[in-house]
Amino acid sequence: MPHKPSLLIVDDEVSVARTLQMVFEQEGYKVAAAFSCAEALHLLNNGGRYDAIITDLNMEQPDIGLDVARAAGGLSPRPVVVICTGYASSDNSRKALELRVDYLANKPVDLKELVPALNRMIAHRRDLRVWK
Amino acid sequence: MTARTSTPPKAALVVASDLEALTGFQSALTSNGYVAIIARDLPTALLAITQHYFDVAIVSSRLGEGGDGWALAGVLHLVFPRAFIAVLTPGEPDVVTFQSAINNGVSEIYEQSRRPAEIVGAITDGSSGGTASSGQTVQ
Repeated sequence: MPHKPSLLIVDDEVSVARTLQMVFEQEGYKVAAAFSCAEALHLLNNGGRYDAIITDLNMEQPDIGLDVARAAGGLSPRPVVVICTGYASSDNSRKALELRVDYLANKPVDLKELVPALNRMIAHRRDLRVWK
Repeated sequence: MTARTSTPPKAALVVASDLEALTGFQSALTSNGYVAIIARDLPTALLAITQHYFDVAIVSSRLGEGGDGWALAGVLHLVFPRAFIAVLTPGEPDVVTFQSAINNGVSEIYEQSRRPAEIVGAITDGSSGGTASSGQTVQ
């Protein structure tokens, strides 16, 4: 039986983070939550490894979720990175594309869309590792 | 005695409904050492995917009645995860365009008004972030 996929949820709105945590735990994920970009970076810089990261965009500062995406991009293996935001702009979405973010979701998050999308991306990433 | 190995030429798929654009990209890609395969619609592109490996794909976002370029880009990303996938858009990209690109695994967006040689140059020169020359690594 494959191990539970691990997921880091980063959102400064505790209720949003906890709701996503509950949803993805029910989906079979092992979920950790961070409530700021700084907390997420601390986890990633201290050995925290996840199959996927879902991060808010605007937390301590506007667009600071891109820092989480940038840090995730430097990891090996690189986790699937999802940004959830209600404040997408041409500028920050262009930067997200350059950082090779895997998915950009609008807030309020449509879970019927996000959950299968994340499941699919993680399965695809695992298939690639197997065939590498 | 050493065995000689030869690297096969890189292959590129170009999908656009505009014949002039297809010819321009084919010429520019061939000049850059690629084997270029062109398709004017979705069925032809899908058939090509079953028959070839592609290092680069250049797809128009609007294939007219020939299909949706974004969806095709998503399929290309799934089938060829290490390929550089470029999408051509009719105007300056807005937030919806960038979101479509990200969610379909697109590497870069180019305005279709740019010359094919310029776009192929940007893809092969490594002047646009993740590029065909550097390759995308999926770990």
